[in-house]
Amino acid sequence: MTKRWLASFWLLAILLPWQAQALIIEITGGSEAALPIAIVPFGSEGFSAPEDISAVIQNDLSRSGRFAPLPEGDLISSPHEKSEINFKDWRLLRSEGLLVGKVSSVDGETYQVQFQLFDVYKGQQLVGKRYQVAASGLRRLAHQISDQVYQALTGEIGVFSTRLAFVSVMDNVDGSKRYTLQVSDSDGANPRTVLQSKQPILSPNWASDGERLAYVSFENGKAEVFVQEMRSGRRNSVAAFKGLNSAPAWSPDGKKLALTLSKAGNPEIYVLELASGKLSRVTHNSQAIDTEAVWMPNSRELLFTSDRGGRPQIYRVSADGGRAKRVTFEGRYNASPDISSDGQTLAMVHGLNGRFYIAVQDLDSSAVLVLTETGRDESPSFAPNGRMILYATEENGHGELAGVSVDGRIHQRLGESDRDVREPAWSPIRK
Amino acid sequence: MIDNILAGSYSLLLHAVLLGLFIIGMDSSSKPHFVAPQKVDIVQATVMDEVQVLEEMMRLQEIEDKKLQEEKERQTKVDEKLEETQKELARKEQEFLDQQERAKIEQQQRDIKAQQEQDKIKQLEQKRKLEDDKRIKAEQARKLEEDRTRKAEKARKLEEDRKQKAEKDRLHAEKLKQEADKERRAAEEKQRLAEADRKAEEQRKRDAERKARQAEEDEKMRLAKIEKDRKKAEALKKKKEADAREAEAKRLMQESLEAEFAKEAQEREATRVAGIVDIVVLQIKQKVKRNWNRSGATTSGLEVTLHVKLMPGGDVKQVSVIRSSGNAIFDRSAETAVYKAAPLPQPKDPKAAAELRDFQFVFKPE
Repeated sequence: MTKRWLASFWLLAILLPWQAQALIIEITGGSEAALPIAIVPFGSEGFSAPEDISAVIQNDLSRSGRFAPLPEGDLISSPHEKSEINFKDWRLLRSEGLLVGKVSSVDGETYQVQFQLFDVYKGQQLVGKRYQVAASGLRRLAHQISDQVYQALTGEIGVFSTRLAFVSVMDNVDGSKRYTLQVSDSDGANPRTVLQSKQPILSPNWASDGERLAYVSFENGKAEVFVQEMRSGRRNSVAAFKGLNSAPAWSPDGKKLALTLSKAGNPEIYVLELASGKLSRVTHNSQAIDTEAVWMPNSRELLFTSDRGGRPQIYRVSADGGRAKRVTFEGRYNASPDISSDGQTLAMVHGLNGRFYIAVQDLDSSAVLVLTETGRDESPSFAPNGRMILYATEENGHGELAGVSVDGRIHQRLGESDRDVREPAWSPIRK
Repeated sequence: MIDNILAGSYSLLLHAVLLGLFIIGMDSSSKPHFVAPQKVDIVQATVMDEVQVLEEMMRLQEIEDKKLQEEKERQTKVDEKLEETQKELARKEQEFLDQQERAKIEQQQRDIKAQQEQDKIKQLEQKRKLEDDKRIKAEQARKLEEDRTRKAEKARKLEEDRKQKAEKDRLHAEKLKQEADKERRAAEEKQRLAEADRKAEEQRKRDAERKARQAEEDEKMRLAKIEKDRKKAEALKKKKEADAREAEAKRLMQESLEAEFAKEAQEREATRVAGIVDIVVLQIKQKVKRNWNRSGATTSGLEVTLHVKLMPGGDVKQVSVIRSSGNAIFDRSAETAVYKAAPLPQPKDPKAAAELRDFQFVFKPE
């Protein structure tokens, strides 16, 4: 024992100086480039799956800007489970992650899907799951798998299985316009029309349950606020007061709506309690327009746009009313606020030299970062994980949906249609 | 005491003599015999010098005369004393008579008469006694003469004895002297012998000492020789040692010189190796950096330390997180960077390569 101890001591004594002068190489910087990932097309045993799951996933990850999926042509083999993987080969391809999986048909309508994500350099599985799903759910499942891959490799919550709501405007042959309220997958694909009107539709806003949408419709000749249930399609007018009824925003608990009403003559912020219909006024500034309210995650405060200072700026006020406090000071125009789920980052339309950009402001430091470059950007809406901001921009003479990461590095375009789309709203994560 | 007794006896004897004389006196008048059978001592006389004897006799006569004279005087005194005593008695009797009854004076007178008579008897008695004494005295004188003769004889004998004794003593002394001489001579002889012994002993001692000294001397010599030999050997040994030391010193110097050279060479080599290592470290750094994609992790301020072991050729043998950033994605991005950068640049120089087999990476965004 003692001998052994002594031996360890000497060993230590010998090793210590070495340890002390051990070579230490410091690596700073590093890239924040997209993470290379190999997504092997999922195997499907002798049948053609109604949805190309791996393609959906690849598109999701690629569109996020955080991943760089290898081109399919570069893939050197097509393994579908671990036993078929030779990690050395995949290392040669420099891919850090490797996603494999397969789809099999249980019966005509039900499919079994399994996937595995590997750390190529360690040769370890990071995540792997198996599902049974109906054919109609395959695409949605693909988005869910994307979410899991995203989370496994970035540590953040994926938002690929969320949805987007937006307004599409089409010109009829007779010159009139057709407004539709649409809901799509987060990639803009698979759009479904939930409301169609000859009159303008504005400001869709998701309730936190992801099941209800509030929006403004002029279908009755004036701006009214409606709440529509997604599954049933049932809709109600919740605010049809005299004057303007606009800019609905759900409280985090989904029980109230903040609204802009001009029933008292001047647009002011109100809070409507949906169950009781009780309405309470928040702002009292007859000289200025107060609008575009949004709830802070704490449910106690609202952010809104007001020109009470002469130019539109963003203010913060208690949901119970009281004195509003200006939040934005950078630039002469800041409007259309949205707030990240952690209550830390404010997204807004930032006006500069007659052009409008999407910008973010840190609420603690008040530092502003402009994210976009086109100069015709509006209606920012945070992704539920706070990493991306969805907004509307104008391209080729019509509105388009776009996304940008909160650090401004990743930009994405959503949808390929030539439709004129505007007023996007990113849904919450469905619980 | 004895004197007193003698005196008493003597006095009593005198009284007895007087009484005897008294009686004799009375008897002589009547019976002039009184021949007491006497036993005559036969004096063993020796022939003496006549003159001497005469002188002696004369001297004895004188003594006798004197004695008689003295006896007479004493007798007188005795008589006087007797008278005195009687007078005293009479006086006392008178006094007694006076004091006692006058009426009995007659009786007394009678008594006195009887007393007187009695006294007369007494006187007679005394007279006889005196005569007895005289006779006794004569007897005594004779006896004295005999004694004297005896004494003279005795003295002569004594003288003879003395002479004999003196002779004897002389002889004895002579003998003693001879014996003493003999003893002295014996003693002297003994002493002489003792002296001789002593001398012999001394001689022996001297011899022994001399021998001892000699032996000591020899031992000293021997030791001295040994010491000398030892010193010689030691000197030799010292010299050998000194030589060895010198040789060692030379060797050490040589070695140290060689070591110096080796060290210099080593340092040159180390510098050379360090130079190579520096370059390769830069190459490694750049390669790992190129391969580090931390896009997965969004949090800034992270830092992870990895321990990396390489195989010869730069392939990654092992990567382990020794201090995590706390963010698994960030940690993994660093690990992946190392793996992706493999094979890491390695120098051709084996020493430099050896230094780049095992090291640490610290990954931090800024």
